[in-house]
Amino acid sequence: MFRRLLAPRSIAALMLIAVGSPAAFGWSISLNQASRRVYLHVGNGAPAGNSNATSGPINVVRVNVPANQVGNGVPQAMTSNSTQSTSLQGDGYATCLTPASQLLIGASYQRNNAGGGSAPMSATLRVSSPAVLTNTNGDTIPISEISWTVSAQGSPVPNVIPAGTFNGGSQFLATIPANTYIENCHSFRYANSARRAAGTYTARVTYTVTSP
Amino acid sequence: MRRAACLLAALAALATAAARAETHRLDDSLTHTVPPNVQMQWRPMQAAADGSGAVEAWVQVNVRLDTRAFAQRSGRVYLVLERDQSSPVEAVWSSQGRLQAGRVVSGERTLVFAGAIPGATLEDQLSMRLRAQTDWQSDQRRLNFHFEFDAD
Repeated sequence: MFRRLLAPRSIAALMLIAVGSPAAFGWSISLNQASRRVYLHVGNGAPAGNSNATSGPINVVRVNVPANQVGNGVPQAMTSNSTQSTSLQGDGYATCLTPASQLLIGASYQRNNAGGGSAPMSATLRVSSPAVLTNTNGDTIPISEISWTVSAQGSPVPNVIPAGTFNGGSQFLATIPANTYIENCHSFRYANSARRAAGTYTARVTYTVTSP
Repeated sequence: MRRAACLLAALAALATAAARAETHRLDDSLTHTVPPNVQMQWRPMQAAADGSGAVEAWVQVNVRLDTRAFAQRSGRVYLVLERDQSSPVEAVWSSQGRLQAGRVVSGERTLVFAGAIPGATLEDQLSMRLRAQTDWQSDQRRLNFHFEFDAD
């Protein structure tokens, strides 16, 4: 009787082996996880989804102060040549309804969680500015005469990048948590607090996103 | 009672083996992908917000199945994506027409052919998109696929 019970077990074992033998078949794909990435656009830019895209033009923000208003202490709203009104993060949402007076700034930081997430948890958005604007005669205006307010159509956090005033150095703007996208609209104004020599004064400010 | 239990167990094992016998793992050893290694790319965060995958990649799969053992037999061929340690991967593909276009998620299988096996080989070229989340165990991951044939 003991032998009769053993026999079916042996058959079953052999059949399982037979079923299991073709396991050598199959094909595979090796995937490399996406690398850590930061993204930034200031004004006109390329969509965030294009991994190899580079930004568009360097937009200009400007104001012409009428001669009879120079230095009267009444702030002058600045306009921009940006045409970027819609978000570049993928949904095409109209974040800045009037790009001629609003510079859309968007930034993101993406990282994977490989190895428990050893990459930094956030990135930093900063802006650096020279101390002064200058004209061709060497006259200057302190860059601190230029400030900005922020807004974002339909956003619960319209000040995710806060309002501020350029300080002639590198200044912190915002922390970007991993795998988030921040954006809002910056409206610039010139304080017009003192009389200046006639001329066209220029300066370039640079926004950067860094992740150590 | 004890002998009866042993006998039942043995019969159950036999029944299981018999049921599985109709599913055959096909010889797909000549199937390969171009490229063999792919770099995942970030998707726009807004597009990935619905949980459809934060990263994606595209690969071409040159399918060549040895179906000599099943030529003229009627049944169904499935593409299987084996489950691994990380969250599921989604594979979506189009084909040249011999196999069906479709979608499969890790741990599942999807029908790619139904009917009589036409001959000794079954070939097609799939354009496959892979999407995944970012919670991998390491920076590299291997996806294992295979084909199964269920005879009618």
